[in-house]
Amino acid sequence: MLIWLPCLHFVFTRPVSVFRLDQGLSPGARQLAARHLQLWTEPTLREAELKKMRVSNAEWDFMGRSYLVWSLANIALRDPASKPLYLQTMDQIIDETLRLEKQEGMYFFLMPYAKDRRYVMQPARSLFLDSEIALMLAARRVVEEKPEYKPLLAERVNAMVERFQKSPRMILESYPDECWMFDHCVALDAIKVADYLDGTDHSALIRDWLAMAKRRLMDPKTGLLFSSFTTDGTALDGPEGSSLWMVAHSLQLLDEDFARDQYQRARKELGVITLGFGYAHEWPQSWPGTPDVDSGPIFPVFDISAGSSGMAPIAASAFHDEKFLQSLATALEFAAFPERTHGRLKYCASNQVGDAALLYAATLGPLWQMVQTGAKAR
Amino acid sequence: MKNFLTNWTLFRRAEFFSARDLLQRAIAISALFLILRLAGLKEFTGVLNGTIGSLALGWKLSAFLAVIYIVFYLAFVILVPVLILAAVILTIWQRYIRKKEIPLTTPDANA
Repeated sequence: MLIWLPCLHFVFTRPVSVFRLDQGLSPGARQLAARHLQLWTEPTLREAELKKMRVSNAEWDFMGRSYLVWSLANIALRDPASKPLYLQTMDQIIDETLRLEKQEGMYFFLMPYAKDRRYVMQPARSLFLDSEIALMLAARRVVEEKPEYKPLLAERVNAMVERFQKSPRMILESYPDECWMFDHCVALDAIKVADYLDGTDHSALIRDWLAMAKRRLMDPKTGLLFSSFTTDGTALDGPEGSSLWMVAHSLQLLDEDFARDQYQRARKELGVITLGFGYAHEWPQSWPGTPDVDSGPIFPVFDISAGSSGMAPIAASAFHDEKFLQSLATALEFAAFPERTHGRLKYCASNQVGDAALLYAATLGPLWQMVQTGAKAR
Repeated sequence: MKNFLTNWTLFRRAEFFSARDLLQRAIAISALFLILRLAGLKEFTGVLNGTIGSLALGWKLSAFLAVIYIVFYLAFVILVPVLILAAVILTIWQRYIRKKEIPLTTPDANA
């Protein structure tokens, strides 16, 4: 055992380029994308996957769509030759999501407790839906302009901006009196991308919101942003890995230094490499938390959170932390039960939203880069 | 077939904790894992992130099948190599190191 355990990770370690490449598409990303494209071309397969996820959490159905569209935008920018195929799938996802939201109402993609109380700000809207839909529309338009989506994006952005201005603390709800850092950062990303696309300027709003978040929404012990809070800024969940890794990546578009600082703190407080395998805690040691639908099951002894470990590759990839990314990819090979068939990859221990988040980790970069540099797609 | 198996020394009942015993255990675990793998139990490991393995089978049975698969998977990737390594080390020790020790107790040495 003493000989084998330290060697075990060698069996599962692959070069980091198998998971993510700086240019072009890595083999892992190509295989994951192929699996997701299959889900959107075979309705029965998709329905079965979504049904399984919706039993646990309706949010996952929605987030799986968002991560896939954001991934496909990055893939289309990395691989312009296949752009038509990716654009077609992005449009299909966006159109179906908008149709479901219109037809079934906003509660369709929310967990049932959203109906238990009244939203503080009326009329009720969920920043969870508005932010991710706005970023889907914006990402699609960055790859290639689609005139039909221009007013739809403007409508979402205007609604979010108006509510940010109306809220006394610039804090918006995703659930009744429950607000999420993840959703605020994605909302501001969408606003920033809309500025890039349409020549608007919301830099003052973004600057003011960041100043407010640093002042009010930060855990004084760790310097990490709270994951969820009430409309008056009272922390609910504290810093959670399942949110923070994506938050750090989202912040890259808004304030790069602050983003890097958040990543380094999260890496120190939450990221672990043991015997060559990378994983992540859900909470820092100073913040005792209770497992929930976001953290996923917490595996004792090592205190491994499935949710946080599944999202950590996004930040490790975004901040080019090759050592952590490789160890996380090694852990995925070991413990996420990859299934490779006919050039397609899925992780059996994951689900569609988890795989879509991993696909995003394997492809992110070009979209943010274009907005930051002001470049236009080919 | 029976003759073939009994003639094949690896399948004969071995002394407890002998090299052959360790190899037999490694083979048994590998065979069971292979059966579970071919039976498709890997699909149920989605319970690790809180997703039901199969709507038809329900939460409890899905979780049970996932646990069985994970236990045998861990046994396959952790225990099987350890058993094989132990068998190799034991064989080397018995064949070479212990043999080298024997000449020390030859009649010459006793005289």
